[in-house]
Amino acid sequence: MNDMRIVERDVNTQKAKITARGVQVHYGTTHALKDVNVDILANTVTAFIGPSGCGKSTFLRCLNRMNDTVASARVSGEILIDGENIYDKRVDPVQLRAKVGMVFQKPNPFPKSIYDNVAYGPKIHGMTRNKAELDEIVEKALRKAALWNEAKDRLNSPGTGLSGGQQQRLCIARAIATAPEVLLMDEPCSALDPIATAQVEELIDELRASFSVVIVTHSMQQAARVSQRTAFFHLGNLVEYGETGTIFTNPSDPRTESYISGRIG
Amino acid sequence: MTDATASGLPDARPQGSSSLLQQDALMKRRNAAEARFKFYGIAAISVSLVTLCVMLWTIFSDGVSAFRQASLELTVTLDAERLDPQGDRSLESLSKVTTIGYGNLLTAALNDYMAERNISVEGVSPKQVGEFISRDAPARLRNMVLADPELIGQTIRFGAFASGRIDGYMKGRVTMASAALDSNITPEQLQLADRLIEAGVLKSAFNWRFLTNPDASDQRPESAGLGIAIIGSLYMMFLVAIMVLPIGVAASIYLEEFAPKNKWTDIIEVNISNLAAVPSIVYGILGLAIFINFAKLPASAPIVGALVLTLMTLPTIIIATRASLRAVPPSIRDAALGVGASKMQTVFHHVLPLAAPGIMTGTILGLASALGETAPLLLIGMVAFVANYPSSPLEGGFFDPATALPVQVYSWASRSDPAFIERSSGAIIVLLAFLLVMNILAIVLRRRFERRW
Repeated sequence: MNDMRIVERDVNTQKAKITARGVQVHYGTTHALKDVNVDILANTVTAFIGPSGCGKSTFLRCLNRMNDTVASARVSGEILIDGENIYDKRVDPVQLRAKVGMVFQKPNPFPKSIYDNVAYGPKIHGMTRNKAELDEIVEKALRKAALWNEAKDRLNSPGTGLSGGQQQRLCIARAIATAPEVLLMDEPCSALDPIATAQVEELIDELRASFSVVIVTHSMQQAARVSQRTAFFHLGNLVEYGETGTIFTNPSDPRTESYISGRIG
Repeated sequence: MTDATASGLPDARPQGSSSLLQQDALMKRRNAAEARFKFYGIAAISVSLVTLCVMLWTIFSDGVSAFRQASLELTVTLDAERLDPQGDRSLESLSKVTTIGYGNLLTAALNDYMAERNISVEGVSPKQVGEFISRDAPARLRNMVLADPELIGQTIRFGAFASGRIDGYMKGRVTMASAALDSNITPEQLQLADRLIEAGVLKSAFNWRFLTNPDASDQRPESAGLGIAIIGSLYMMFLVAIMVLPIGVAASIYLEEFAPKNKWTDIIEVNISNLAAVPSIVYGILGLAIFINFAKLPASAPIVGALVLTLMTLPTIIIATRASLRAVPPSIRDAALGVGASKMQTVFHHVLPLAAPGIMTGTILGLASALGETAPLLLIGMVAFVANYPSSPLEGGFFDPATALPVQVYSWASRSDPAFIERSSGAIIVLLAFLLVMNILAIVLRRRFERRW
């Protein structure tokens, strides 16, 4: 833990972007997530940490209702985004996912060209009226994802032909092309080498200016490096949530301390 | 992280020999087991290869000769007095002359030729010379004349099929010894056949009419062909393809991607698997009861055959399609849903294109098995003797009587004349050629459209 670098952060007291109250998730008979209450701030990187199977990914997938695709999953409680309950009957999850983008653990570009990968979201959401506008959105997204310089000459070559790190940045570009307000990242660096990881982390820090970013990670160093706020999950409970610096240097719960110092997990 | 305890370690491996250069007894047994298994595998493959070779060899050795046919190149004078006794060239009076009249003309032509060249064999009467000519030839000559009465009075070259026995003699099926026991032919006739071959009037050549002619009666195997069976099979394959693909793919997509997983979908799923295992003849009975007796569709028609084959192929196609949908990695679905695609957009933009090669292959293989299906077609009357070509699809050809390739194989194989057995093997070769083309198509489609992710 000595190499852990806690950068100074501007922790401003903004209003909460996402408010979760009493969120419970059951997978069949398994109680995967127990009564989670959390406020996620706008323009902040929030990290979810905890041992495997602690429910951090489950909670992340609740935020854009990806759990709807799991037949056995039941979610109760409420999650408000900008004050609107996303589990309200009137909410269409498809519309929600345009607002809450997601990047997955394994890079999963479509087996199409780089351009089509990024352009797909804007196209289906009717964000553009002509090709020129679409080109502009694609370029912007690729620039934001720090992939433009590498990809601009090969926009028509398949996205699956890129290296692992480039593929993950392509997936980030694809997610931000639909202009979401929240970006969820489920262990985005676990399949990447250290250099690609560093690039993605740098990117996450830049993305904070435009989105609230929620990132699930197994690497505590990563959480410390990129996030301003950290939530620690253990056995389905949200144990502790607070400023990253506090969590890592002065945790209030003994379980957090044990995990941070490597005694459980 | 976790406490390592010494008690968790296994006991030391029992040591037969401490040297790595020497195999211990257990290792020898394991290697022997592996060698035995490899041998079983190779033996199994060899047995199937040998069986396949024997099968192909039998079919080809019996069937290739069906594509060749002996014929007599005759110079026939179309005598006006005999063909048009009234002399008015009207269709009515011309059609009064039956095929017997034309047969006499052909017999005379062959006898004249022999007299000219001084060919004769003792004990062969002029009438027996006439038996050289297929019964199919007079009918064909009559049709030619009726279609073009101008020919009357002219002298034309006419290629007449030789009769089945003479054809068999040239192919080695009929021998002097067998002819002695055969009431249809005498050894003297065979000697005459040798002379005619020497003279160059009796020749064997590739027989296109085996592929185009309709079926023929027991008396003239030489003119029996696969024309109607090929048309019937093509009509059925076309209809099956346009019915089975949309129904099968729609059902699979719904079941795999949209349907909730509950008791009802479980029952449907189990029943689809069961239907795939139902013997095909049961579908024939179903087709007979529903499509012919209830819906009053015409018997022997390709449309009924296609409906039955569609029902029979559907479960196979659904199972193949669902398997290829399931083989699309879930990460692609996550990716599409994650950018806010609806379920249907996810399926049609991403999942279906990736599953398409698999669906194509499954469909083509399903069609190939439908092409070779015989039993259900027997029950809906496609085994009937059909002498007239079905009309084109635009003129309601799907409702005209027809047969199918495998049914033709079956009905020829059950006839007594050995010439039909040869044709049956020939039909199998044609059927195998069709199947080969379809399977190659399946492989090409898969190679062409397969994408990696």
